[in-house]
Amino acid sequence: MAEPAQSDFRREFRSLAQRVHRRHAGRLALTGASLGLSLGALGALGLWALRFGEWRPAAAGLGVLGAIAGSALANRLRWSERDVALYLDARLASHETVTTALAAQSSSEPALAHVLERANQVLGSADPKRVRPKVWLRVHALLPAALAGIVTVSLLPLPPAPPPPASAPGAERVQLENLKGLERIEALAHVQGQNPEQDERLKKLAEQAKKLREELAKGLEKREALSEIAKLRDGIAAERLKLGDRQNRPGLDAALRAFSNRPALRDAQKALGNGDLTAFDDEMQKLANRAESSDRQAAKDALEEAAKEARAKGAHGLADALDAQKRLFERRESHAEALRELAQSLKGKLSPEALEDLKEFGSSGSPEAEKRLADGLERALEGLTPEERKRLAERMQQQLESNGGNASPMTKRQLEEMAKQLARKDGIDQLRKQLKELAKPEPSADAKREKGLGDAERGGADAQRGLGGMPIPTDGDGAPGGNPGDKANSGTSPPNGAPGPGSKHDSGTGNHQGSTPEIAAKELRSKAEARLQAGAPMHGATLGRAPARAGETANQLGTGSLGEAQKTEVGAVDHADIPEEYREQVGRYFEP
Amino acid sequence: MTDPPAPSFEARLAQARDVSARLKRALATIIVGQDAVVEQVLWGLIAGGHVLLEGNPGLGKTLLVRTLASCLDLRFSRIQFTPDLMPSDVTGTNVLVMDGGGQGSRGRFELHRGPIFGQVVLADEINRATPKTQSALLEAMQEHAVTIAGTRHVLDEPFFVLATENPIEMEGTYPLPEAQLDRFLLKVSVPAPSEDELTEILTRTTGKLAPEPERVLTRQDVRELQALCREVAVAEPVLRYAARLVNASAPDAADAPDLVRRSVRFGAGVRGAQSLVLAAKAVALLEGRAHVSFADLQRTAPPVLRHRILLSFEGEADGVSCDQIVRELVTNVATRPAVVERAVQGA
Repeated sequence: MAEPAQSDFRREFRSLAQRVHRRHAGRLALTGASLGLSLGALGALGLWALRFGEWRPAAAGLGVLGAIAGSALANRLRWSERDVALYLDARLASHETVTTALAAQSSSEPALAHVLERANQVLGSADPKRVRPKVWLRVHALLPAALAGIVTVSLLPLPPAPPPPASAPGAERVQLENLKGLERIEALAHVQGQNPEQDERLKKLAEQAKKLREELAKGLEKREALSEIAKLRDGIAAERLKLGDRQNRPGLDAALRAFSNRPALRDAQKALGNGDLTAFDDEMQKLANRAESSDRQAAKDALEEAAKEARAKGAHGLADALDAQKRLFERRESHAEALRELAQSLKGKLSPEALEDLKEFGSSGSPEAEKRLADGLERALEGLTPEERKRLAERMQQQLESNGGNASPMTKRQLEEMAKQLARKDGIDQLRKQLKELAKPEPSADAKREKGLGDAERGGADAQRGLGGMPIPTDGDGAPGGNPGDKANSGTSPPNGAPGPGSKHDSGTGNHQGSTPEIAAKELRSKAEARLQAGAPMHGATLGRAPARAGETANQLGTGSLGEAQKTEVGAVDHADIPEEYREQVGRYFEP
Repeated sequence: MTDPPAPSFEARLAQARDVSARLKRALATIIVGQDAVVEQVLWGLIAGGHVLLEGNPGLGKTLLVRTLASCLDLRFSRIQFTPDLMPSDVTGTNVLVMDGGGQGSRGRFELHRGPIFGQVVLADEINRATPKTQSALLEAMQEHAVTIAGTRHVLDEPFFVLATENPIEMEGTYPLPEAQLDRFLLKVSVPAPSEDELTEILTRTTGKLAPEPERVLTRQDVRELQALCREVAVAEPVLRYAARLVNASAPDAADAPDLVRRSVRFGAGVRGAQSLVLAAKAVALLEGRAHVSFADLQRTAPPVLRHRILLSFEGEADGVSCDQIVRELVTNVATRPAVVERAVQGA
C-alpha cells in the first residue's frame, strides 16, 4: 500500500512543486524586468539629457537584461523540495504533513506510511489557486510605468544643445591662405646682412615666415600663430642695429656730440639719435646734395669725428656704419657736383622749372629735386644740336680746367666722361643713362638692411593685427607726426603761432577750434619729443623693447638695462598669476 | 490457534484518540475547568515524562493527580514532602526481619519499598523537603530505578512522577536544583479558576459527595499510548526548528533574541530539546496526527522550557518571567527559511 501512496504523493507533489517553481521564477523575472526597465527609464532620461537621442529606445534592453537576470537568479535560488513542502504546508495549513511525508518517502514505518496517506489527501484536495505563489508584486507596477517612461522619453524632442564651452583664449583655430604682412618678413631673404652669418639668420627668418604661412593655410591655433609671429618679430628686432644698447650707447652718445655743434646737421643728429639709420641716410643724402660746400664739409667732418668717437667708445658697429656713410657721402657728393656742373654748362638751355629745381637741389639737397633736375637736364640735352653739344663739351672741359683741383677726382672723372659722351655723335643716349644713374637714390647698405628689417617688423605687426592680436610696440620707424601749423592740420589757429590764452609767457590770443588729424603712425607707439637733449631719445622712455637704463631719468644716467632681467625674475613668470597660454610670451619678453 | 493480526497504525491511532478522550472525560467528572492543565498532564503521561505542577494552594493540584491515578489502573503512591523527610522514606529501606521467635532465631534484611515504587507517584509540596531528600528522586525519575543498599531496583513501568509545589510560601522551602528541575518533562502552571469554574467547583464540592472516577485506562493502555507516542514522525525541518528554539534560549547563541541576551543566564539544554519533541509528539498524538508540526512545538514550548531557563540578575531585576522569554523565542525564531516565509506571507 505504501508504494502506490508514495508514487501518488510524488506525482501530486511534483505537479504542485513545478507550479510553485514556475511562478516563483516568473515573479523573479518580472521583478528583474521591472527593476531593469526602471533603470532603463532613468538611463533613457539621462541619454535624453545628454542628447544621445538614438540610444534612448535601447534603454528598454535593460528590462530584458533584468528579466534574464531575474530568471537566472530564480534558477540559482530555486527552492529545494523541502522548501516547497514547507511552503505547501504553510499555505494548506496541513501541520507539516507534506514536509513529513517528503521525508518519509523511503521509509516503511507505519506512522510515516500514515503520514504519506494524509499528505496524499492533503495534496489531492488542495486548491491549486490557493497554493500558487503570488506572481505580481507591488514593485511590478514599475514595469508598465517604466516602459511608458522609456517610450515617452524616446519620443520627446531632444533638449537644445548646450552652448559649447568657451575655449581658452587664443585656442581657436585660424586658417588663412594669405596673412598680410608675412610677405614682408619673407622678403628678408633678399636683404643683405652685415655679414654671412646675418645673411643666414635673415634667410632663416624668411623661411620661418614662409613655413608659418603654409601652416596657417592648413589651420593653426591662433595663440600658436601669434606666438610664432612674436618670435619672428623678436628675431627681426634682434637683427636690427641696436645703436642704443649697452654696447653702442656710449658710442652713440659720443657720436651725437660730434653732430651737436653743427646746426646744419641737426636733423641728421636727430635721426641718428633715434637710431633710425634710414632717416639718417636720407639726411646725409640731402646734405651731400647741397650746394653749400661748408655744410658738406661739416657733414664729412662730423661723420669722421663721430666714427672715431664711436670706435673709441667701443661701438664698432656704429663706427663702421658711420665710416660707410662717409664713403657713400663722398660718392653722393661727387654725383651731385657732376649734376650741378652739367646744369651750369647747360644753363642757357634749361627750362625755368629746371632752373628752379637746380636752386632747390642746391639749397635743400632734396632727392626729389635731384630727380627733377636730372629729368630737366635730359630734356635739355635732347634739344642740343651737334654744334651745341660740341660747344657744351668744350665748355665743360674749360670749366674743369678753370676749376683746377677744386673738383673731387670722382667728379672730375664723371665730368670728363660726360664731355666725352657729348663730343660723340651717339653719346647723347649714354649721357642720358649716366644722368639717370646720377639721380638714382643710393641708400647705404645699413639703411637698406634697416629698411628691410623695419618693413619686416611692420609686416609682423600687421600679421599680428590680422590675427586679432595687439602688436607689442617695437623699436620701429613710424612716420613722424605732423608739427603744429603744418599744412596737414586743418585747424583755424593762426599760422604765425599766436599764443594761447593759458600761456603766461605769451600775450596773444588763440582758440581751440582746430582739429588734429589722425596720426599716421603704423602701430601703437608711445613716444615723446624730448627737448632736454635735442636729437637724443628721451631718457627713461621705453619704446617697446628698446633698451633703456634702469633708474635713468632726464638728467641722470642709469646703470642697468630694462631689457635685461635676472634669472630669478624670469623664473618668477612661471609662478606668477599669468594665464598659461601667455606665459611663454611673457617669459620670452623678460628673457635676458 | 494463531495470534490475532496486529492492529493497523490507523486503528492504534484511533484507539489512542479514543482512550485519551475517555480519560479526559473521566477527569472532567472530578476536575472542573483547568483544561490546559489536564491537557499538559496528559502530554506528560503519554510522553512518559514527569510533570511538576506549580500553583497556589487549593487549586486542585493534588486532586488532579489523585483523580488521574484513580482513572488509571496503576499503583498510586503519595509522598508528602516535609523538611524532616528522609531519602529512605522515599525510596524505602532494608529492615531486619527475625525468622521465628526466641533464642536461635535468624534475622534477615528485607526490603521495605518506599512510595517511589508506585507507578503514579505524587510528590506533594516537593520543595519542602531538603535537597538531600529531593535528590532521592533523581535516579528514579531519570532511570526509572532506585538503588537501595547497593542493590538496583528497577521500577515498574509506567512510572510517572507528578510533583506539586507552592510558589508563594518560600519560608521553609528548598528550591529545586536545576538538575532536579531538568528531570521534569513539563512544568505546568496551575491557574486560578474562572468565575464559572469556581461556581461549578462550589456546586460539586459542597453538595453530596462526588462519585469516584471510573478507571478508564489500563496499564497496557498507558504503555501502548507511550509506545505510539514514540512512533510519531518528526520531519527534519521540524526537528531543526526545535533545535533552533532551544539553542536560541542561550544568551550567547548567535540568533538569540535581545531579551534572551539581556535577561537569561543559562538556557535550555539537550534534555530540554528532547522534552520539547517528546511533548510535541504527545500533542500530535492527542490530536490524532502521526507527525509533529511547528505549531505542536510552539504549544509545548512554555511548559517544557520555562523551568529550564535560568534568569540572570538583570532579568530578575527587570521582572522578566521565563514565560516571557519563551514567548519571545517562539515569536523570533523562524519556523521556515526566510525566502519561503516571505512567499507564504506574500502569497
